Formats: sequence, structure tokens, C-alpha cells
Amino acid sequence: MLLLSYLVMSGVTTGALYALIALGIVVVNKATGIINFAQGEFFMFSGFVAWMLHVQMGVNYPLTFLLAAVVGFGLGCLTDRIAFRPIAKTDVVSLVLATVGIAFMLKGLARVIWGGKADYLSFPPITSTDPMMIGNVMVIPQQLAVLAGTVAIVVIFTAFFRLTRAGKMMQATADNARAATLVGIRTDRIYTLAFGTGAAIAAAAAVLTAPLTLLYPDIGFAFFVKGFAAAVLGGLMSLPGAVLGGLIVGVVESLAGGYIHSSVMEVSPFVVIMIVLVLRPTGLLSFNKIRRV
Amino acid sequence: MSATLLSVRDVHITFGGVRVLEGIDLDASRGEIRGLIGPNGAGKTTLLNIICGIHRPQKGDVLLDGISIVGRKPSEIARLGLGRTFQASQMFGGMTVLENLIIGLHRRTSSGLLSAGLKLKRHRREEAEMEEAARRALAFVGMSELAERPATALSFGQQRVVEIARTLIGDPMIVLLDEPAVGLSANRLTELDGLLRRIRDQKGVTLILIEHAIRLVMDICDQVTVLSSGRRIADGTPLAIRNDRGVIEAYLGKDLRARHQAS
Amino acid sequence: MTPFSRRNVLLALLAIAIAAPPFANFYHLFVANLVVIYVLLAIGLNILVGYAGQLAFANAAMFGIGAYATGLLQVQLGWSFWLAFPSGAFIAMAVGLAISLPALRLSGLYLALSTLAFAQATQWVFLHWESVTFGAGGFKTPPLSFAPLPITKPLGLYYLSLALSVGLFMFAQNLVASRVGRALVAVRDGEVAAESLGIDLLRYKALAFGVSGFYAGIAGGLYSALLNFVAPEGFDLFQMVLQKSMIVVGGLGSVAGAVLGAGIIIVLLEALRAFKGLQEIVFGGLLVIFVLFMRGGLVSVIKRHVRGWEEPLRLVQSTAAPAPEVIDTRPSVADR
Repeated sequence: MLLLSYLVMSGVTTGALYALIALGIVVVNKATGIINFAQGEFFMFSGFVAWMLHVQMGVNYPLTFLLAAVVGFGLGCLTDRIAFRPIAKTDVVSLVLATVGIAFMLKGLARVIWGGKADYLSFPPITSTDPMMIGNVMVIPQQLAVLAGTVAIVVIFTAFFRLTRAGKMMQATADNARAATLVGIRTDRIYTLAFGTGAAIAAAAAVLTAPLTLLYPDIGFAFFVKGFAAAVLGGLMSLPGAVLGGLIVGVVESLAGGYIHSSVMEVSPFVVIMIVLVLRPTGLLSFNKIRRV
Repeated sequence: MSATLLSVRDVHITFGGVRVLEGIDLDASRGEIRGLIGPNGAGKTTLLNIICGIHRPQKGDVLLDGISIVGRKPSEIARLGLGRTFQASQMFGGMTVLENLIIGLHRRTSSGLLSAGLKLKRHRREEAEMEEAARRALAFVGMSELAERPATALSFGQQRVVEIARTLIGDPMIVLLDEPAVGLSANRLTELDGLLRRIRDQKGVTLILIEHAIRLVMDICDQVTVLSSGRRIADGTPLAIRNDRGVIEAYLGKDLRARHQAS
Repeated sequence: MTPFSRRNVLLALLAIAIAAPPFANFYHLFVANLVVIYVLLAIGLNILVGYAGQLAFANAAMFGIGAYATGLLQVQLGWSFWLAFPSGAFIAMAVGLAISLPALRLSGLYLALSTLAFAQATQWVFLHWESVTFGAGGFKTPPLSFAPLPITKPLGLYYLSLALSVGLFMFAQNLVASRVGRALVAVRDGEVAAESLGIDLLRYKALAFGVSGFYAGIAGGLYSALLNFVAPEGFDLFQMVLQKSMIVVGGLGSVAGAVLGAGIIIVLLEALRAFKGLQEIVFGGLLVIFVLFMRGGLVSVIKRHVRGWEEPLRLVQSTAAPAPEVIDTRPSVADR
């Protein structure tokens, strides 16, 4: 029972991370209709920036969090300007390849800037590393921080979309971009906002995770694929779906690792997503899109 | 060989809880031009989608030349002899006009991976035949000079005509046309009128045509079916339809019908 | 007069490729061989992504499957290279077809995701199925001999690669200028209309996956022989982006473009060999720049300035005068 609870807890924590990446993906997709393949690299790059700020420059944690989120936001806006805006009207293939290109540039940049030192950077723990017991469940405080942080971000964003004007404008743009323009919504600003926000979420995820894991330039892609899988599980257009998807991926991964074999952990989300896509090509929580001709 | 080529029987379809079509019956005879009209949202395009296999009705059947085609893949139904054009332009942008026509012959030819890759004799012969047939078809619609232009370089009206030619070149028994006249100028409309007649007269193809241009429908259709809110409210000759109360009501609403009758 | 037509330029390149070895050192020959292998990969990928429009990310994995299959059949089962090589290619093709079956219901992003997941899963198999694949360290393949021909291995492999790629290049060119090629483009440009013309989507998507799988498999087998070694890291995401940049730089939807793209990218790759980070920046940057400014790739630029680079999707019967005007005696639309 202890093992199960530990595995689930651990799965939920990584799941929370995947959920945040998925959230970023869904935010961008909801507003623009495309998947930003650079999302994982936003995560990685912001993580490195956070390392630089906190470890190298001694900036305190909360401020690092804020600054990293700002950097992330900036990266997102830049990506919108460079890789999305100019080709917004073209086909899926081109858009995806453009964001893949950006992803690679960021990865290379990170390697050039920080890779000179050890390829793996470690972040000092923020909270104590001693596990504590909550009821029957064993947890590490940082895990709780990650969870709390994730919950906070999800709550903030749901509120943002439901309650603020900007959020509602994003929804409108997502539903019908042309109508949104007619109503006077500056859709290009919305796109930039969406990219920036998505990236900021990834940055936040990175700073939350950094104390728990090692940072290295290639980390972005692995997280991206899992985040993408989580977003698809949740239906690609649904914020709560993304969170649910992330948790599912995290828990499946953890359980597979614990009960089957540790090496299976890496690959289990991929197998799951392949199976899900075969059985339900439109994801678990979405409704069937009718082909309109 | 029965006179009825296409038979739609008691078709019902629901999308996400909304009843889009209920109890639709329609029979089209060989060589007939049948109009399908009705206010927006009546379900006309959905009906065409069902006939050509894009949607599957919850209830009912569709028979093409006596064979039930419900549940078959659209490409299969196309190969059985049904053609279709769409409201939005569906020209293949990566090809020239001529190539767009040649692809219309796809279902009548058969060279495959190896035959094409190895440039075997059969493949070469087929290619030559297809090119000739495509040029003839282009001439039939009077656009020979556009053969080598990229498909995207054509005007909207020209694209529509080429798409019709592309559907016809495969020698279908029946063609479904979804608003072929939309966006056409008066001149082009007259041309389309003539083209559709020639298609029916010279090739004996049955046409089912969704149209809002009532003048066109009255002019060339032999029979007209009227849909409104998912139901069939009238079926008959253009003249009969014009005077049908239900139809007038559907288009104009009850008050206006009274005024129309009074006038 | 089309002195710089595609045909002439490619023939010239081929002539240089055939005649070059006596003047080249071992390293040059190695790079040239690598280019030829990547040309094969690029052509196959282009058929899937450029012509059929399928956003698939599995090509690097198939490349790996071809290499691993060829290598393992030799090492684990003792087969000779000459048997293992074609078998490896067919295995890769079979896998390509197998992936395509579920993929046919997916489009765009979902297809991208499932092929990405497949690629990751394949990497994992290469790394962890140690009893068969020898794990992260990889394994050496038996030395290749061209006996009884009096030719050294590097030279022999080079000419073998060249011969195969010329043959497969021509096959691909024929294929795209045919009914099959047109069907692929139709699937890409208008799936619904394509279906309404009788084109079976399943069949043609599967065909595109199978062909690209085969080409990747052949490339993989040659690669394993070139390095005499097979390991997981040659077949990862970086590899995939490399291949994508080749077809984007050369020109999506152009077979000749694949040749150009492969050549340029490999040269860049070797030049930047020491700086992985820089490589990533350059290839990522190339992708972005070309997608933004030159979506048709280099070939589109060449087409605008040099005659003879058209790549029609049909078999042009003769390169002489255009077909005679069809005299149509039937009334045309103009008659009233």
C-alpha cells in the first residue's frame, strides 16, 4: 500500500508537470489552432535561465520564478512573431516545421550558452529533501510545492479564461477568428498573448521542477511529447482535459515503472498514446468533430 | 435496367442530438436533372453528403442503380459511378489544370506502384490516353488555353467549371452538384446553364443540383425536391413547386405568403 | 536550349560522383557515401511529407530499423550482408506499412503525435532490448567484402550506394509523374475531393508510408555497412529534424530537391561536426528560414531563373513541340 501510494504520488507530481506542459500546448492551440512544437524547449530554456539566476547569480527563488516566467513569456512572443504570424495562413506541415525549427534553435542556443559546463545542471532543493508522511502517504515537500504550484496555475488560468476580458477574447478568437476580427478583437495580439502565456506556463513548470530533476538541453523534447500526449488525451481544446491528461500520463508512467520494470517507465506513455489514438483518434474527452464539407 | 437510378429511402440523420434530416425520400431517374432546394439549414448538403458516403444515416437506405450504398466508403461509391462537386473550391492546388482533369480519370485507370515506377508500357499507354481525354474534356468546356496553368491561377468561376469537368471525365452515371452557381456572374450563369444541359443531353448523366439560384433551377430542372428544416416538403415539377403553398411558406414565412397570394 | 536543365545538372553531378573516387581521400569518400545515403532518405521522406502531405515523424526510426535489421540479421543469425540487406529494407517497409494502418484515421497533428510516439518507442527498443539489440553501446557488423570483385570495401560500397540511389531516384521520379503521384498530391491537397474521385485514401497513404519505409530501410542497410557499426543515437530526433530540413531546403514536393537538400545539409553537418549546439542552431534556423521565405525550397528558386526544372505530375510524351491543338467540332460554351 505504501508502494502504491508512493508511486501514485510520484506519478501525480510528474503528471502535474506534464499537465502544465499540456496546458501551455492547449492554450496556444485554443487560440491559434496549432500545436507549438517548441513548448518543450521553452520549458528547458527557462529552466536554464532560472538556474543561471538562482544558482549562478544568487537571485532568490520567488524572484527567479517571476523572472523565468517573464523570459518564457518573451520567448513565446518571439516565436509568435517569427514562426507563426508570417505563415499563419499556410498549412499544418509548414507551421509545425517552423516551430520545430525554433525548438532546435533554442536547444542549440542553450547548449552553446550553458553546455560548456557540465551537460547536466542541478538545482539545489528549495524545501527540505526529507520525505514526510501525510497519513499513509509518503511525500517529499518539493512534490507538494509542485502540486500546489500547478493547482494555483490551473486555477489562475481557468479564472483568466472565464472571467477576464482578455481571456474571453481568446476564447472568441479560438472559436471563430474571422468573427472575432469583425467584432474588433485584435486577433494578432491575441495570438501573441497566447504564445506568450503558453510559454510562461512552461517556464513556471520548469522552475517548479528544477529542484526535483536535472536540467539538460535535451530534456525539452521528451517533456514535449508527453505533454502533447497528455493534451491529446484531454482533447486538445480543453484546459481541464489537459490537466487530467497530464495526471494520467504521469501516473501510468509511475505505475508501469514500479510494477512492471523501471525501464518501461520511459516508454509507457508512448505506448499508451499510440493505443489511445488507434482507438479514439480524437482523444478521450473531446466530442467527435463532424467533417463539414 | 430500371429508370430509377438513385433512390433515397426514409433517411434519418442526427448530429450531436440535433435531428438534421428526417424521413427523406427521393427518386431520381436516369438522365434527369433534379433540383434540391430549400431555405438555409434545411439539410441539403447533408443529404448530398449521405448519398456520396461522407455521413452515415442512422436510419434509411440509399440505392444506386439498385445497389445499397449506405455504409460504403466515399471512394467506393465514387467508383460505382457517382460524382460530386463541392461548395468550396476543391481544386488540387499542387497541380495544373490539365493534371486536375487527368486525376479525374483515376478510377478508370489502373496502373499501380510498380507499373508506374518502372515506367512500363501499360503505364505509358494509359498516360497518353488520359492526357488526350483530358484535353478533350477541357475543350468541351471551352478552356483549352488554360491547360498548363496552375490550378490556383484560375478565377473562381473558371475553377468551378473545371471541377465539373473533372467530375465528368470519369464518366459517372450521376453527379451531385453543390451550389455550382454560387458566386457566378450573370454571364457565367448562362454558360453554366448551357453546360449543364449539354452534359445531360450529350452524356446522359443524371444530375442532382443544390441551388439557391431559383431561376436556374426553374429553367433546367426536370424535377425539384424541396427540403425545409430536415423534412421533405414538396416534390414535383418546377411549375408545381412554384405554386406550392408549403414551399412559399418555407421561404417567405406565413405573413408574406398571405401577401404573395393576395398579389 | 536548356543547358542547365534539371536533367543535365543531375547528370553532371552523377558524372562527377562516378569519376571522383580516384581523386578523393578516405574521408571524402565517406562523406560522399553519406550524402548518397541521405539522398535516399530524403527522396523517401519527400514522397510521404512533400507529395502525400502526411506530417509523419517516423522516418528516422525506419532508418534505424533498416540499419538494425540488416546488422542483426548478420550478427545474430549469421546471414550474409547480401541477404540481410534487402531483408532489412523489406522489414523497414513492413513496419512502415504497419504504422500507417492506424495512422490512416489520423490527420495532421494526431498523426504527428503518433509517429513521434512511435519514434520514441523505437528508440527505447533499440536501447533496452539488450539481448537482441546490444543496447546503448551498439554493435559492430561483420566487415563487408565485395569478393570476387577486385574492389575495396569503401569503393565498392560507394558505387553500390550510388547505383541504388540512381535507380531509386528514377523510380521515384517515374512514380510522381504518374497516376500514383497525382493521387498522392490529391490526397494532400483535398482529401474529400480525392475520395469523391474514387481515390482510396487508405491505400494511397499506406503506399506513401510503405515507399518511404522502403527507401529508409535501404538507406539504413547501407549506413550500417558504411559505419560497420549500429547504435541507437544515429536514429533519434536530431536525425529526424535533419531529414526534414533536407526536404524543406531542397523543396517539398520535388524529387530533385531531395538530392540538393541532402547534399547541402550533409556538407553543413560535417563542417559543423565539432559543435553540436551550433549544428542545432543552423538546422533549426534553416528550417525556419526556408519555411518562412522559400516554402518551395531551392528548387522553387531555381525554377524561376533556369529553364528545364519543371516537374510535371504527368508523363510528358515528348520534349519536342507541344501536343497538337485538339480540333473540337462540337459546339463550345461560346456558341449560343
